[in-house]
Amino acid sequence: MSGREEHRVNDPLDLEAPPGQVRSLDEDEELQSTGAADEAHPPRGRDESEKQDQFLLKVYHYGKDSDDPQERRRAMQARQKLIAMYLPLVRSLARRYASRGEHFDDLVQVGAIGLIKAIDRFDLERKVELTTYATPNIVGEIKRYFRDKGWSVRVPRGLQELNIRLNKVIDELVPKLQRSPTISELAEAASATPEEVLEALETSQAYNSVSLQASPNGEGGEEDAGLIDYLGGEEEAYDTMEDRTTLAPGFAKLDKRERYILHLRFFEGLTQSQIAERVGISQMHVSRLIRRSLEKLREEIGELDSPEIMHASSDDDR
Amino acid sequence: MSERINLEVPADLSSLHTVSTVVAGIGARLDYSLDDLADVRLAMEILLSDALQLEKLETIAVQADVADGSMKLTAGPFRSAELRRRVTVGRDDCIDLCLLLRRTMDTVTVEDDDASFSVVLERRPREVSS
Repeated sequence: MSGREEHRVNDPLDLEAPPGQVRSLDEDEELQSTGAADEAHPPRGRDESEKQDQFLLKVYHYGKDSDDPQERRRAMQARQKLIAMYLPLVRSLARRYASRGEHFDDLVQVGAIGLIKAIDRFDLERKVELTTYATPNIVGEIKRYFRDKGWSVRVPRGLQELNIRLNKVIDELVPKLQRSPTISELAEAASATPEEVLEALETSQAYNSVSLQASPNGEGGEEDAGLIDYLGGEEEAYDTMEDRTTLAPGFAKLDKRERYILHLRFFEGLTQSQIAERVGISQMHVSRLIRRSLEKLREEIGELDSPEIMHASSDDDR
Repeated sequence: MSERINLEVPADLSSLHTVSTVVAGIGARLDYSLDDLADVRLAMEILLSDALQLEKLETIAVQADVADGSMKLTAGPFRSAELRRRVTVGRDDCIDLCLLLRRTMDTVTVEDDDASFSVVLERRPREVSS
Protein backbone atom coordinates (compact mmCIF):
# COMPACT_ATOMS: atom_id res chain seq x y z
CA MET A 1 0.00 0.00 0.00
CA SER A 2 1.40 3.38 -0.94
CA GLY A 3 1.38 6.31 1.43
CA ARG A 4 -1.24 8.00 -0.66
CA GLU A 5 -3.51 4.95 -0.61
CA GLU A 6 -3.07 4.68 3.14
CA HIS A 7 -3.96 8.33 3.44
CA ARG A 8 -7.17 7.75 1.52
CA VAL A 9 -8.20 4.79 3.63
CA ASN A 10 -7.35 6.33 6.98
CA ASP A 11 -6.61 9.99 6.68
CA PRO A 12 -5.28 11.13 10.04
CA LEU A 13 -6.48 14.59 9.27
CA ASP A 14 -9.98 13.57 8.34
CA LEU A 15 -11.84 15.31 11.11
CA GLU A 16 -15.02 13.62 10.04
CA ALA A 17 -13.49 10.17 10.36
CA PRO A 18 -15.50 7.89 12.62
CA PRO A 19 -14.13 7.40 16.10
CA GLY A 20 -11.67 4.57 16.28
CA GLN A 21 -9.63 5.32 13.19
CA VAL A 22 -7.49 7.85 14.95
CA ARG A 23 -8.20 8.13 18.59
CA SER A 24 -6.61 8.56 21.94
CA LEU A 25 -6.72 6.04 24.71
CA ASP A 26 -9.83 6.35 26.75
CA GLU A 27 -9.60 6.60 30.52
CA ASP A 28 -9.97 2.86 31.17
CA GLU A 29 -7.29 1.93 28.73
CA GLU A 30 -5.06 4.56 30.18
CA LEU A 31 -5.48 3.32 33.71
CA GLN A 32 -4.62 -0.16 32.61
CA SER A 33 -1.38 0.95 31.10
CA THR A 34 1.56 0.73 33.43
CA GLY A 35 4.43 1.72 31.20
CA ALA A 36 4.69 5.07 29.58
CA ALA A 37 5.97 5.35 26.07
CA ASP A 38 5.21 1.90 24.72
CA GLU A 39 1.81 1.46 26.26
CA ALA A 40 0.60 4.98 25.67
CA HIS A 41 0.34 4.26 21.98
CA PRO A 42 -3.22 4.07 20.78
CA PRO A 43 -4.26 0.55 19.87
CA ARG A 44 -2.86 0.71 16.38
CA GLY A 45 -0.19 -1.49 14.92
CA ARG A 46 3.24 -0.16 15.67
CA ASP A 47 4.12 0.23 12.00
CA GLU A 48 0.83 1.90 11.30
CA SER A 49 1.35 4.17 14.26
CA GLU A 50 4.82 5.18 13.13
CA LYS A 51 3.64 5.81 9.60
CA GLN A 52 0.80 7.94 10.85
CA ASP A 53 3.13 9.93 13.11
CA GLN A 54 5.56 10.48 10.27
CA PHE A 55 2.76 11.53 7.98
CA LEU A 56 1.38 14.05 10.45
CA LEU A 57 4.83 15.37 11.30
CA LYS A 58 5.58 15.91 7.62
CA VAL A 59 2.25 17.65 7.04
CA TYR A 60 3.02 19.93 9.96
CA HIS A 61 6.67 20.71 9.34
CA TYR A 62 6.43 21.05 5.58
CA GLY A 63 3.20 23.01 5.70
CA LYS A 64 3.53 25.32 8.69
CA ASP A 65 5.45 28.01 6.83
CA SER A 66 3.72 27.52 3.51
CA ASP A 67 2.37 30.49 1.59
CA ASP A 68 -0.79 28.52 0.98
CA PRO A 69 -3.27 29.26 3.81
CA GLN A 70 -4.95 25.92 3.29
CA GLU A 71 -1.66 24.09 3.76
CA ARG A 72 -0.90 26.10 6.85
CA ARG A 73 -4.32 25.27 8.25
CA ARG A 74 -3.76 21.62 7.44
CA ALA A 75 -0.36 21.81 9.16
CA MET A 76 -1.94 23.13 12.32
CA GLN A 77 -4.56 20.41 12.17
CA ALA A 78 -1.79 17.82 11.98
CA ARG A 79 -0.10 19.37 14.98
CA GLN A 80 -3.34 19.35 16.95
CA LYS A 81 -3.89 15.74 16.00
CA LEU A 82 -0.44 14.74 17.22
CA ILE A 83 -0.95 16.57 20.49
CA ALA A 84 -4.27 14.83 21.05
CA MET A 85 -2.82 11.44 20.16
CA TYR A 86 0.07 11.78 22.58
CA LEU A 87 -1.73 13.30 25.54
CA PRO A 88 -2.15 9.81 27.04
CA LEU A 89 1.65 9.55 27.02
CA VAL A 90 1.82 12.89 28.87
CA ARG A 91 -0.74 11.69 31.40
CA SER A 92 1.11 8.45 31.89
CA LEU A 93 4.38 10.27 32.56
CA ALA A 94 2.71 12.91 34.75
CA ARG A 95 1.21 10.18 36.90
CA ARG A 96 4.70 9.12 37.94
CA TYR A 97 5.16 12.52 39.55
CA ALA A 98 1.64 12.92 40.92
CA SER A 99 2.57 11.90 44.46
CA ARG A 100 4.97 14.78 44.91
CA GLY A 101 2.49 17.34 46.04
CA GLU A 102 1.35 18.90 42.79
CA HIS A 103 -1.97 18.59 41.04
CA PHE A 104 -2.05 15.82 38.50
CA ASP A 105 -3.85 18.09 36.04
CA ASP A 106 -1.20 20.75 36.48
CA LEU A 107 1.50 18.23 35.70
CA VAL A 108 -0.39 17.16 32.60
CA GLN A 109 -0.57 20.77 31.46
CA VAL A 110 3.15 21.24 32.02
CA GLY A 111 3.94 17.92 30.34
CA ALA A 112 1.81 18.96 27.37
CA ILE A 113 4.12 21.93 26.89
CA GLY A 114 7.00 19.47 26.64
CA LEU A 115 5.04 17.46 24.10
CA ILE A 116 4.32 20.53 21.98
CA LYS A 117 7.99 21.52 22.08
CA ALA A 118 8.94 18.01 20.98
CA ILE A 119 6.51 18.13 18.07
CA ASP A 120 7.69 21.60 17.05
CA ARG A 121 11.38 20.72 17.27
CA PHE A 122 11.14 17.26 15.78
CA ASP A 123 13.77 16.70 13.11
CA LEU A 124 12.31 14.72 10.23
CA GLU A 125 15.78 13.73 9.06
CA ARG A 126 16.49 11.83 12.24
CA LYS A 127 15.15 8.33 12.17
CA VAL A 128 13.63 8.27 15.62
CA GLU A 129 10.08 7.76 16.72
CA LEU A 130 8.17 10.71 18.08
CA THR A 131 7.59 8.80 21.33
CA THR A 132 11.32 8.38 21.85
CA TYR A 133 11.95 12.05 21.21
CA ALA A 134 8.95 13.37 23.14
CA THR A 135 9.38 11.38 26.34
CA PRO A 136 12.53 13.15 27.63
CA ASN A 137 11.03 16.50 26.58
CA ILE A 138 7.87 15.88 28.58
CA VAL A 139 9.72 14.56 31.63
CA GLY A 140 12.18 17.44 31.42
CA GLU A 141 9.38 19.97 31.40
CA ILE A 142 7.71 18.38 34.43
CA LYS A 143 10.99 18.26 36.33
CA ARG A 144 11.69 21.89 35.47
CA TYR A 145 8.28 22.80 36.83
CA PHE A 146 9.09 21.13 40.13
CA ARG A 147 12.46 22.79 40.28
CA ASP A 148 11.37 26.30 39.34
CA LYS A 149 7.88 26.63 40.69
CA GLY A 150 7.67 24.31 43.63
CA TRP A 151 9.33 26.21 46.43
CA SER A 152 8.16 29.61 47.57
CA VAL A 153 11.25 30.18 49.73
CA ARG A 154 14.80 29.02 49.36
CA VAL A 155 15.09 25.52 50.78
CA PRO A 156 18.42 23.67 50.63
CA ARG A 157 18.53 21.10 47.85
CA GLY A 158 19.22 18.29 50.32
CA LEU A 159 16.01 19.05 52.18
CA GLN A 160 14.04 19.39 48.95
CA GLU A 161 15.25 15.98 47.90
CA LEU A 162 14.49 14.47 51.28
CA ASN A 163 11.05 16.02 51.06
CA ILE A 164 10.44 14.40 47.72
CA ARG A 165 11.74 11.10 49.09
CA LEU A 166 9.47 11.40 52.12
CA ASN A 167 6.42 11.94 49.95
CA LYS A 168 7.18 8.69 48.19
CA VAL A 169 7.98 6.85 51.40
CA ILE A 170 4.76 8.03 53.06
CA ASP A 171 2.76 6.83 50.06
CA GLU A 172 4.42 3.45 50.34
CA LEU A 173 4.24 3.08 54.11
CA VAL A 174 0.62 4.07 54.70
CA PRO A 175 -0.90 1.15 52.77
CA LYS A 176 1.80 -1.21 54.00
CA LEU A 177 1.34 -0.34 57.69
CA GLN A 178 -2.38 0.40 57.35
CA ARG A 179 -1.80 3.50 59.45
CA SER A 180 0.10 6.75 59.45
CA PRO A 181 3.85 6.12 59.90
CA THR A 182 5.92 7.46 62.78
CA ILE A 183 8.90 9.74 62.32
CA SER A 184 11.35 6.94 63.14
CA GLU A 185 9.73 4.70 60.56
CA LEU A 186 9.94 7.48 57.98
CA ALA A 187 13.56 8.13 58.89
CA GLU A 188 14.49 4.50 58.48
CA ALA A 189 12.68 4.14 55.16
CA ALA A 190 14.12 7.39 53.79
CA SER A 191 17.65 6.67 55.07
CA ALA A 192 17.64 9.84 57.13
CA THR A 193 17.74 10.77 60.81
CA PRO A 194 14.53 11.61 62.67
CA GLU A 195 15.80 15.19 63.03
CA GLU A 196 16.29 15.48 59.29
CA VAL A 197 12.79 14.14 58.71
CA LEU A 198 11.31 16.68 61.14
CA GLU A 199 13.23 19.46 59.46
CA ALA A 200 12.09 18.36 56.03
CA LEU A 201 8.49 18.18 57.19
CA GLU A 202 8.74 21.66 58.64
CA THR A 203 10.22 23.09 55.46
CA SER A 204 7.59 21.34 53.38
CA GLN A 205 5.25 24.10 54.52
CA ALA A 206 7.34 26.39 52.35
CA TYR A 207 6.34 24.39 49.34
CA ASN A 208 4.19 26.44 47.01
CA SER A 209 1.12 24.39 46.30
CA VAL A 210 -0.79 27.08 44.42
CA SER A 211 -2.45 25.33 41.54
CA LEU A 212 -2.68 26.34 37.93
CA GLN A 213 -6.33 25.44 38.38
CA ALA A 214 -6.91 28.10 40.99
CA SER A 215 -8.65 31.23 39.86
CA PRO A 216 -6.43 34.30 39.63
CA ASN A 217 -7.81 35.82 42.82
CA GLY A 218 -7.34 32.52 44.61
CA GLU A 219 -10.90 32.39 45.77
CA GLY A 220 -12.34 30.05 43.25
CA GLY A 221 -15.80 30.12 41.91
CA GLU A 222 -18.26 27.71 40.45
CA GLU A 223 -16.16 27.52 37.33
CA ASP A 224 -13.22 26.25 39.33
CA ALA A 225 -12.15 22.81 38.26
CA GLY A 226 -10.51 21.14 41.23
CA LEU A 227 -9.77 17.57 42.18
CA ILE A 228 -13.34 17.34 43.35
CA ASP A 229 -14.46 17.53 39.75
CA TYR A 230 -13.08 14.15 38.87
CA LEU A 231 -13.87 12.38 42.12
CA GLY A 232 -17.07 10.79 40.93
CA GLY A 233 -17.51 8.64 43.99
CA GLU A 234 -17.57 11.57 46.35
CA GLU A 235 -20.60 13.34 45.03
CA GLU A 236 -22.93 12.33 47.85
CA ALA A 237 -20.49 13.39 50.53
CA TYR A 238 -19.92 16.58 48.66
CA ASP A 239 -23.64 17.36 48.62
CA THR A 240 -23.78 16.95 52.39
CA MET A 241 -20.77 19.16 52.73
CA GLU A 242 -22.30 21.80 50.49
CA ASP A 243 -25.37 21.87 52.75
CA ARG A 244 -23.18 22.35 55.73
CA THR A 245 -21.03 24.97 54.13
CA THR A 246 -24.03 27.19 53.69
CA LEU A 247 -24.06 27.33 57.49
CA ALA A 248 -20.38 27.76 58.02
CA PRO A 249 -19.21 31.34 57.94
CA GLY A 250 -16.20 31.91 55.78
CA PHE A 251 -16.57 28.77 53.69
CA ALA A 252 -17.63 30.81 50.70
CA LYS A 253 -14.11 32.18 50.58
CA LEU A 254 -12.68 28.74 49.90
CA ASP A 255 -12.63 26.87 46.64
CA LYS A 256 -14.35 23.50 46.25
CA ARG A 257 -11.30 21.43 46.95
CA GLU A 258 -10.40 23.39 50.08
CA ARG A 259 -13.95 23.09 51.40
CA TYR A 260 -13.97 19.41 50.63
CA ILE A 261 -10.70 18.70 52.43
CA LEU A 262 -11.66 20.74 55.49
CA HIS A 263 -15.00 18.98 55.56
CA LEU A 264 -13.34 15.58 55.47
CA ARG A 265 -10.93 16.49 58.23
CA PHE A 266 -13.08 18.45 60.65
CA PHE A 267 -16.61 17.21 60.05
CA GLU A 268 -16.05 13.66 58.82
CA GLY A 269 -13.10 13.11 61.14
CA LEU A 270 -10.76 11.60 58.55
CA THR A 271 -7.05 11.77 59.25
CA GLN A 272 -4.74 13.53 56.84
CA SER A 273 -3.50 10.19 55.53
CA GLN A 274 -7.04 9.02 54.90
CA ILE A 275 -7.85 12.24 53.08
CA ALA A 276 -4.71 11.87 51.02
CA GLU A 277 -5.75 8.39 49.99
CA ARG A 278 -9.29 9.42 49.18
CA VAL A 279 -8.41 12.53 47.22
CA GLY A 280 -5.35 11.06 45.54
CA ILE A 281 -2.72 13.52 46.69
CA SER A 282 0.10 13.19 49.19
CA GLN A 283 -0.36 13.51 52.95
CA MET A 284 2.06 16.42 52.97
CA HIS A 285 0.01 18.18 50.33
CA VAL A 286 -3.13 17.63 52.41
CA SER A 287 -1.33 19.13 55.39
CA ARG A 288 -0.39 22.22 53.40
CA LEU A 289 -3.87 22.60 51.97
CA ILE A 290 -5.47 22.36 55.41
CA ARG A 291 -3.18 25.03 56.78
CA ARG A 292 -3.69 27.34 53.83
CA SER A 293 -7.46 26.86 53.87
CA LEU A 294 -7.65 27.45 57.61
CA GLU A 295 -5.69 30.64 57.26
CA LYS A 296 -8.16 31.94 54.70
CA LEU A 297 -11.16 30.68 56.58
CA ARG A 298 -10.14 31.96 59.97
CA GLU A 299 -9.25 35.32 58.54
CA GLU A 300 -12.84 35.53 57.39
CA ILE A 301 -14.26 34.17 60.65
CA GLY A 302 -12.11 36.64 62.57
CA GLU A 303 -13.91 39.45 60.80
CA LEU A 304 -17.32 37.90 61.46
CA ASP A 305 -16.42 37.27 65.10
CA SER A 306 -15.54 40.86 65.81
CA PRO A 307 -16.96 42.01 69.16
CA GLU A 308 -19.53 44.27 67.43
CA ILE A 309 -20.94 41.44 65.39
CA MET A 310 -20.97 39.04 68.32
CA HIS A 311 -22.81 41.62 70.38
CA ALA A 312 -25.38 42.21 67.65
CA SER A 313 -25.87 38.48 67.36
CA SER A 314 -26.54 38.18 71.11
CA ASP A 315 -29.08 40.95 70.92
CA ASP A 316 -30.88 39.20 68.13
CA ASP A 317 -31.10 36.02 70.19
CA ARG A 318 -33.00 37.70 72.94
CA MET B 1 8.97 8.17 81.27
CA SER B 2 7.85 11.43 82.83
CA GLU B 3 9.43 14.72 82.03
CA ARG B 4 8.68 18.40 81.65
CA ILE B 5 10.00 20.71 78.98
CA ASN B 6 9.58 24.48 79.29
CA LEU B 7 9.82 26.61 76.21
CA GLU B 8 9.70 30.37 76.02
CA VAL B 9 10.01 32.20 72.72
CA PRO B 10 9.51 35.80 71.56
CA ALA B 11 5.90 36.71 70.93
CA ASP B 12 5.90 36.86 67.15
CA LEU B 13 4.54 34.66 64.40
CA SER B 14 7.96 33.51 63.24
CA SER B 15 8.55 31.94 66.65
CA LEU B 16 5.60 29.63 66.16
CA HIS B 17 7.76 27.47 63.91
CA THR B 18 10.15 26.96 66.81
CA VAL B 19 7.31 25.89 69.08
CA SER B 20 5.94 23.66 66.35
CA THR B 21 9.28 22.00 65.70
CA VAL B 22 9.92 21.37 69.40
CA VAL B 23 6.45 19.91 69.85
CA ALA B 24 6.98 17.71 66.79
CA GLY B 25 10.34 16.60 68.20
CA ILE B 26 8.75 15.56 71.47
CA GLY B 27 6.01 13.75 69.60
CA ALA B 28 8.55 11.99 67.41
CA ARG B 29 10.34 10.67 70.49
CA LEU B 30 7.01 9.33 71.72
CA ASP B 31 6.48 7.61 68.36
CA TYR B 32 3.48 9.71 67.44
CA SER B 33 2.37 9.08 63.90
CA LEU B 34 2.61 11.69 61.19
CA ASP B 35 -1.13 12.32 61.47
CA ASP B 36 -0.89 12.75 65.25
CA LEU B 37 1.96 15.18 64.89
CA ALA B 38 0.19 17.16 62.19
CA ASP B 39 -2.83 17.57 64.47
CA VAL B 40 -0.85 18.61 67.55
CA ARG B 41 1.21 21.10 65.60
CA LEU B 42 -1.84 22.54 63.91
CA ALA B 43 -3.71 22.95 67.20
CA MET B 44 -0.77 24.62 68.89
CA GLU B 45 -0.03 26.96 66.00
CA ILE B 46 -3.63 28.07 65.61
CA LEU B 47 -4.07 28.62 69.33
CA LEU B 48 -0.90 30.66 69.62
CA SER B 49 -1.57 32.69 66.49
CA ASP B 50 -4.97 33.62 67.90
CA ALA B 51 -3.34 34.56 71.18
CA LEU B 52 -0.86 36.77 69.35
CA GLN B 53 -3.67 38.39 67.43
CA LEU B 54 -5.84 39.04 70.47
CA GLU B 55 -3.44 40.25 73.11
CA LYS B 56 -0.10 41.91 73.46
CA LEU B 57 2.28 39.30 74.74
CA GLU B 58 5.96 39.72 75.42
CA THR B 59 6.75 36.05 75.17
CA ILE B 60 4.99 32.82 74.38
CA ALA B 61 5.37 30.16 77.02
CA VAL B 62 4.61 26.51 76.39
CA GLN B 63 5.09 23.72 78.87
CA ALA B 64 5.17 20.16 77.62
CA ASP B 65 4.53 17.34 80.07
CA VAL B 66 5.33 13.88 78.84
CA ALA B 67 3.99 10.88 80.69
CA ASP B 68 2.81 7.40 79.74
CA GLY B 69 3.58 7.90 76.09
CA SER B 70 1.41 10.94 75.67
CA MET B 71 1.92 14.65 75.68
CA LYS B 72 0.20 17.47 77.57
CA LEU B 73 0.86 20.98 76.36
CA THR B 74 0.10 24.01 78.49
CA ALA B 75 0.17 27.39 76.79
CA GLY B 76 -0.15 30.66 78.65
CA PRO B 77 -0.69 32.64 80.75
CA PHE B 78 -3.19 34.58 78.69
CA ARG B 79 -5.54 37.38 79.69
CA SER B 80 -7.73 37.90 76.66
CA ALA B 81 -11.40 37.25 77.39
CA GLU B 82 -11.96 36.86 73.66
CA LEU B 83 -9.34 34.12 73.44
CA ARG B 84 -10.94 32.35 76.39
CA ARG B 85 -14.30 32.57 74.66
CA ARG B 86 -12.92 31.23 71.40
CA VAL B 87 -11.32 28.27 73.16
CA THR B 88 -14.38 27.35 75.14
CA VAL B 89 -17.37 28.39 73.04
CA GLY B 90 -17.73 26.89 69.62
CA ARG B 91 -20.27 26.01 67.01
CA ASP B 92 -20.60 22.59 65.47
CA ASP B 93 -21.11 23.98 62.00
CA CYS B 94 -18.15 26.30 62.00
CA ILE B 95 -14.42 25.65 61.95
CA ASP B 96 -13.65 28.08 64.71
CA LEU B 97 -10.84 27.73 67.22
CA CYS B 98 -12.97 25.70 69.62
CA LEU B 99 -14.01 23.10 67.04
CA LEU B 100 -10.53 22.94 65.60
CA LEU B 101 -8.99 22.22 68.99
CA ARG B 102 -11.65 19.64 69.82
CA ARG B 103 -11.15 17.83 66.52
CA THR B 104 -7.38 17.69 66.80
CA MET B 105 -6.82 17.12 70.53
CA ASP B 106 -8.24 14.63 73.02
CA THR B 107 -8.94 17.17 75.72
CA VAL B 108 -8.92 20.93 75.80
CA THR B 109 -9.20 22.63 79.17
CA VAL B 110 -8.77 26.12 80.53
CA GLU B 111 -6.97 26.51 83.84
CA ASP B 112 -7.68 29.80 85.59
CA ASP B 113 -5.15 31.55 87.74
CA ASP B 114 -6.36 34.87 89.18
CA ALA B 115 -6.69 37.25 86.24
CA SER B 116 -5.00 34.98 83.74
CA PHE B 117 -5.59 31.54 82.34
CA SER B 118 -3.73 28.79 80.51
CA VAL B 119 -4.95 26.47 77.79
CA VAL B 120 -4.11 22.80 78.30
CA LEU B 121 -4.11 20.51 75.30
CA GLU B 122 -3.73 16.77 75.63
CA ARG B 123 -3.27 14.26 72.90
CA ARG B 124 -2.61 10.56 73.06
CA PRO B 125 -1.29 8.84 69.97
CA ARG B 126 -4.25 7.67 67.87
CA GLU B 127 -2.48 4.64 66.55
CA VAL B 128 0.06 2.58 68.44
CA SER B 129 3.00 1.64 66.29
CA SER B 130 3.74 -2.05 66.09
